[in-house]
Amino acid sequence: MIGRYARLLLVFAKVETQYELEYRTNLIFSVLQQAMIMVTSIGAMLILFSYTTTLNGWSLAEMLVLLGVFYIVQGIGDTLFGPSFERLLEHIRLGTLDFTLLKPANGQFLVSTRHVKLRNSAQLVLGLVVLGIGISRLESALSAAQVAGFIVALGCGFALMYSLLLVLSTLAFWFVRVENLLVIYGAFVDASRFPVDIYPGWLRVTLSSVAPVGIAVTVPAQALAGRVDALGIAALALAATLAWVLSAWFWRRGLRSYTGASA
Amino acid sequence: MIATYRTLLVAQFQQASQYRVSMFLYLLFSLIRPIIFLAAWTAVAAARGGSVGGFSAADFAGYYVCMALVLHFTTAWNAYEFEFEVAQGRLSPKLLRPLHPLHYSVVENITWKFFTAFGLVPALAFVAITFQARFETQWWNVALFVPSLLLAAAIRFFLGWIVATAAFWTTRVNAAVTLFDRIMFIFAGQIAPLALMPGILQSIAYVLPFGYIIGVPTDILRGGATLDQALLWMGGQVFWLIVSYAGLQLIWRAGVRQYSAVGA
Repeated sequence: MIGRYARLLLVFAKVETQYELEYRTNLIFSVLQQAMIMVTSIGAMLILFSYTTTLNGWSLAEMLVLLGVFYIVQGIGDTLFGPSFERLLEHIRLGTLDFTLLKPANGQFLVSTRHVKLRNSAQLVLGLVVLGIGISRLESALSAAQVAGFIVALGCGFALMYSLLLVLSTLAFWFVRVENLLVIYGAFVDASRFPVDIYPGWLRVTLSSVAPVGIAVTVPAQALAGRVDALGIAALALAATLAWVLSAWFWRRGLRSYTGASA
Repeated sequence: MIATYRTLLVAQFQQASQYRVSMFLYLLFSLIRPIIFLAAWTAVAAARGGSVGGFSAADFAGYYVCMALVLHFTTAWNAYEFEFEVAQGRLSPKLLRPLHPLHYSVVENITWKFFTAFGLVPALAFVAITFQARFETQWWNVALFVPSLLLAAAIRFFLGWIVATAAFWTTRVNAAVTLFDRIMFIFAGQIAPLALMPGILQSIAYVLPFGYIIGVPTDILRGGATLDQALLWMGGQVFWLIVSYAGLQLIWRAGVRQYSAVGA
């Protein structure tokens, strides 16, 4: 079962990559753009840190770890399911979702992963580099428990982000035009490049509850910095599982409201 | 010309009033970046025992509230649409009209700013209150701010068009636009007030046009400059206005000659 879906994912990635390679200059420019964005945001960070050694308790090394995690999370989102959800909205509006639903595989899986966009994984690779630089400059060596906590927290972060995107896209079954909601989502993702604890109450609460992109980035970085305990990770895992289950239920509920092209 | 603009404005207003909700949502982007960096600088100020180079947390709040206002009123997004128009050949009918395509986007730009201002002002008031912003604005600051903002918006608009005309040669403007946006992000006074840019970066910022688009009007509005300094900066704005206008004229003429609608 899992093997079959892994094979499907591989096929999607292959087809989309072949398509991308037809436009090679575009691909190169896209990678350059992602690199430019990253270099300038590291520059912004260095300017802030030219005035201080800690930002609300976060050292420069820890901030680099956080920025690395930010680009990893965003990179996977933009590669794996972001582009697919964009297409989903189009399919719902045009009524062409019928063709997807008729295919002999799980509908939720198909709409979430069909349009893998490999060029956006440049962010992911660059994010890993920044993460590596950040880790190498951390004061204390990493323990096995910290690394384990990081991996679990990162997995939970993806689950939270995915669930939120799925819920937002599912709303299209009732409201049709939900691109605007994705704009709000993008704005909140932007805010998660800094640790949630630097924000005032109302924004911090939003970034940890309704739009949990903030904790999706902050907690894995905290795990590497050794500033979150097992209980915190467990709570995050519980929240992520809950979000995952609820969003899948919501998707099935939304699907029942889908009327198709000619209906 | 005035009659033309009146007609265009009426048409654009009617069109824009259909998309009120989405316009307000795009406002979020004018707001979120300034709030992010305001929060970061507030944390830096706290780490340094209250202030950074003469800026207290309240001064940062005043700066970033003014900055969000300036950012909003100087924005121009034509470069994004232009690539699409050239690639699809949609520019051709526009070139045939007796009016330069530039005027249509001027009107579109003004309409959007007018409508969204109704959402922006209360949102900024909320930010100013929650961050306890302090302004040192005097009457002459407001008097100079208005022309300074208009100059800034015009410079930004012309520069945006210069970047967009790259589409005549490549039809891939996206990378050029990103480069422009990111240099502006660093040097315009968005990540830090220009006065706080470290060392050589500050000198570069005062040479490049970007600071005259965002940083200068912001500092004039919040009362962060002496009268002499403000006037000097506005001289710089006039300089960049002339340069960007002349540059656009040259590049546009060369570009239109180069333009052959894709598919034609």
